[in-house]
Amino acid sequence: MTTIDLGTPSLRSGTESVPAADGPQTGKEFTSDQEVRWCPGCGDYAVLKAVQSFLPGLGLRRENIVFVSGIGCSSRFPYYLDTYGMHSIHGRAPSIATGIATAREDLSVWVVTGDGDALSIGGNHLIHALRRNVNMTILLFNNRIYGLTKGQYSPTSEVGKVTKSTPMGSLDHPFNPVSLALGAEGSFVARTIDSDRKHLTAVLEAAAAHRGTSFVEIYQNCPIFNDNAFDAIKDSETKEHAIIPLVHGEPITFGTRDETTGLGDKALARSAGGGVEVVDTAAMPVEDLLVHDAHNEDPSTAFAISRLTDSGYLNRSPIGIFRQVQRPTYDDLARAQVNDAKTKATQAEGNDTDRLTQLLNAGDTWNVG
Amino acid sequence: MTYVISASCIDVKDRACVDECPVDCIYEGARMLYIQPDECVDCGACEPVCPVEAIFFEDDVPEETARFTRLNAEFFDDLGSPGGAANSNFADRDHPEIAAMPAQNGAHA
Amino acid sequence: MPPSFVGPASLETPDHGSRLVKQLDRVIIRFAGDSGDGMQLTGDRFTQESSVFGNDLVTLPNFPAEIRAPQGTLPGVSSFQVHFADHDILTAGDRPDVLVAMNPAALKANVGDLPKGAAIIVDTHDFTKRNLDKAGYAVNPLDLLGDANDPLGDFQVHTVDLTGMTVEAVKEYGLSRKDAARAKNMFALGLLSWMYGRPTEPTTTFLENKFKKSPDILGANLTAFKAGWNFGETTETFVVRYEIKPAKLPEGTYRNITGNLALSYGLIAAGVRSGLPVFLGSYPITPASDILHELSKHKSFGVTTLQAEDEIAGIGAAIGASFAGSLGVTTTSGPGVALKSEAVGLAVMTELPLLVIDVQRGGPSTGLPTKTEQADLLQAMYGRNGEAPVPIVAPQSPGDCFSAAVEAARIAITYRTPVMLLSDGYLANGSEPWLIPSVDDLPEIDPAFATAPNHASAKALAAAENGGDGEPDEFWPYLRDPETLARPWAIPGTAGLEHRIGGLEKGEGHGNISYDPANHDLMVRTRQAKIEAIAKSLPPLEVDDASGQAKVLVIGWGSTYGPIGAACRRVRRAGYHVAQTHLRHLNPFPADLGEILKGYDKVLVPEMNLGQLSKMLRAEFLVDAIGYNHVRGLPLKAAELAEAIGQLVGEAEGINVDLGEHGLNPPADHEEMPIQ
Repeated sequence: MTTIDLGTPSLRSGTESVPAADGPQTGKEFTSDQEVRWCPGCGDYAVLKAVQSFLPGLGLRRENIVFVSGIGCSSRFPYYLDTYGMHSIHGRAPSIATGIATAREDLSVWVVTGDGDALSIGGNHLIHALRRNVNMTILLFNNRIYGLTKGQYSPTSEVGKVTKSTPMGSLDHPFNPVSLALGAEGSFVARTIDSDRKHLTAVLEAAAAHRGTSFVEIYQNCPIFNDNAFDAIKDSETKEHAIIPLVHGEPITFGTRDETTGLGDKALARSAGGGVEVVDTAAMPVEDLLVHDAHNEDPSTAFAISRLTDSGYLNRSPIGIFRQVQRPTYDDLARAQVNDAKTKATQAEGNDTDRLTQLLNAGDTWNVG
Repeated sequence: MTYVISASCIDVKDRACVDECPVDCIYEGARMLYIQPDECVDCGACEPVCPVEAIFFEDDVPEETARFTRLNAEFFDDLGSPGGAANSNFADRDHPEIAAMPAQNGAHA
Repeated sequence: MPPSFVGPASLETPDHGSRLVKQLDRVIIRFAGDSGDGMQLTGDRFTQESSVFGNDLVTLPNFPAEIRAPQGTLPGVSSFQVHFADHDILTAGDRPDVLVAMNPAALKANVGDLPKGAAIIVDTHDFTKRNLDKAGYAVNPLDLLGDANDPLGDFQVHTVDLTGMTVEAVKEYGLSRKDAARAKNMFALGLLSWMYGRPTEPTTTFLENKFKKSPDILGANLTAFKAGWNFGETTETFVVRYEIKPAKLPEGTYRNITGNLALSYGLIAAGVRSGLPVFLGSYPITPASDILHELSKHKSFGVTTLQAEDEIAGIGAAIGASFAGSLGVTTTSGPGVALKSEAVGLAVMTELPLLVIDVQRGGPSTGLPTKTEQADLLQAMYGRNGEAPVPIVAPQSPGDCFSAAVEAARIAITYRTPVMLLSDGYLANGSEPWLIPSVDDLPEIDPAFATAPNHASAKALAAAENGGDGEPDEFWPYLRDPETLARPWAIPGTAGLEHRIGGLEKGEGHGNISYDPANHDLMVRTRQAKIEAIAKSLPPLEVDDASGQAKVLVIGWGSTYGPIGAACRRVRRAGYHVAQTHLRHLNPFPADLGEILKGYDKVLVPEMNLGQLSKMLRAEFLVDAIGYNHVRGLPLKAAELAEAIGQLVGEAEGINVDLGEHGLNPPADHEEMPIQ
């Protein structure tokens, strides 16, 4: 088989080709007139609010923003934003967004999905979107439960979880969404928390700026069917021990902070097996502590860090941007092929109508009469 | 939009709402609790747990307590967005208009 | 002995040498060999030569699903049938006059289809013990030629060592024996081209292009082709050449075209005529993949092709592209339609233009991937949850796939709806001369994007009372055009028209989620009414009832057009009356269909399924539609169908019907129009 070197197109920001707004915008302009219908206390409210207050800051024309969702509680999201939007069918939002993003360079495309939508019924579309690196941002609301169908276990639920469909405990080993995204060679992979507006907003800003598929897992509490699932990382007493904060260029430490060094009492370091392990900060020379490098082309370390997430009840989880690397996006390349072909053909052979006439009359033809 | 805590909280401060708030945006003042309007995400978790029905969605605040929308907001004029009640302590202060109010709800001033 | 064709227009004259030239009005040739023998290419080349020569023709490729089925076996046989004539014809013919068999399996698999007196040209080279065993021949039938018990006694058999002569002819190119032998199909093509006076130049040009980079292979193929021709010229085996004059077709420029190619061009044309970029989201599946291949070559027309991760993603991306203002298209076959059903429902609900191309194949399940069938009609019609009406368009011949695609796009864009286009394996791979249309004559399709608010809010109306203009200030995505019932199509990037759509039920007009019972009832009925309203845009159905005396109407859809037309011609030539009509639109039906059906005593519905259209006609019009149904993975046979029509004509008119030679009695295949 022949392969063609497509060259490396110039890498640009995620929103560069989207027209800018005429002037400053407010969160209110991005809020639709639809009544929000999540359960009281749902983490989705927090994310919605964060998105509504963050979008104006992007400075993009509202009409050039498209939110696409699948099915599930979180997938109601597009209705509440006064942008273009589609609430599609279960699991398929990434494929629909792929069509939108490929067809139109001038749109900022967002996918809102959940753990069931993205990882169960739509798992295939998720990994292929990441593989293709289509320019869009995927917000995966992970509440580790099926909410809209009233409380069955999800692909991120811990083993042994007792739910309506698993009275004797669930048997499925859960997905770690970040590991999965890194395995699919996602070019931007991050994790954040619904209730931490500051962190959530910072991650969204970075995700929007990234050209390619930005994957953001958002831990999101379901107060009805899986309440307190993320308490360890939210409770002010425990969170400094539970969250492993990832900051590019900083040593990765957590736990009780040392006032002078600013380092936590636990840290990550390379393990003998080639992975990453948790060590006592004090027991290591500072230079041996693992410094987070989100821009590392090789995703192995990011993957190893992602494996430190608890797969059972969440007592510990790395939070932040795991990986942020540049590689060509499918939609840019696809448009370039079309535009090149169109430009060359138009110059050489004229407009579409003339060329269609030529096409239809090509090959072996004969005249009658 | 935001939820608003109104008069019936004054000198009650049950705090059930604080436990319920998923984003920790309900701050305790000296005589009442205040919702930080920029931090509130409109989720409505606080409203049904309040034993004295002090909490209303902004659009639904009864006319006679309408000023509490302003009072909640103004409480944070100097404080800004503290980013979570758990790490804050404003229990020594109130909005001046609240501070000036007579004892409410049978409490002793 | 020469093969003896019997035809009304046959006449013998000597050619320049001592050879007789016999005039024929039509010939059916079937090339058959192992699936690696290049029979499809051989047939295709012979077809091109015949079309350039000016004959009317219809082809029927028939090949196994396996890329290389076990060599020499019956399942591995691949064939290509071409029917060419000096008059207008409709089918690839029921029974070949000539069979070219490259090995024992090809002989065995096809000999049963031959009429008495047919000619067989056999490549003796592959009649080895092993190949005979594989084909299930205990005795080499070629050894029995002329014997009392000769199993091929009814035929004119020509034994030729095609492979041996090919290898000998191309010796100078120093190819391996295997590579040299592969040129045998060109030797066969050369021989047949000589026999039927085909022009050789198209094949020479074709080979020069195809093997531009491999001079040895090119040389070998050209040499084999010429050697085949020269063999015919010099050998004593064939004493007659045949001449089939060009057909008198309507004036214009023609090319030979397959259904999949015509369909691809139709989609490109729909893009050009609507000014919309075409976006194809597709997953490879036989027999639809060629459309993906073809469209991916035409990026210069602004065509984007996405080979998706699965069938659902293919349609998902197409829906996304439609939302964004492209002409979204997805191509597939029956199993893929099943997977796409939910997404088609989404397009119904969101009322977005979308083309779903189903190149039908034998089912259910994986079924017969490379064979034809029409059994997806009810799936296209009803195969979704809820009341989800979708217009259905079906082309009737390979060339017709072009205009069917344009028509499907017209409906999709005008009415903001997904449209199913039902092609099939026979149309997809079969070919015919196609009168190339002028681009300017194609319908213009106006996407008529919404550009401004279309509804005055309560606020605006209130303001109007105080001197405001009361002009529309908001966008209602489900405020319909009263004529077409189509909703406005506002694409992202249009300021002020931001809106959300989705799979949940919409409130009429404003389009917000609505669970209101009365609204749902209204919306279900409105979506149905919108599709039914398409009938108003359709031309009257044409009924071919030449004598005006027919009591029997034969009605079909899709690729059965050819066999039905040919069968009706036979019945008429035998002196009986029959009417024929053919449906391009299966949903909605043409407005006058009910009246037309009522005008006949009996209605026959030939289909390659167990009676799907007849079921729909019965349900819609309470007409006693009688099914004629075959599901053999092959087109209907005209002669058999003619007998069935004849029988019905007999019943309807209370007469005895004997079609004589126009039915199943030889000689087969009269497709010319009845003598006026």
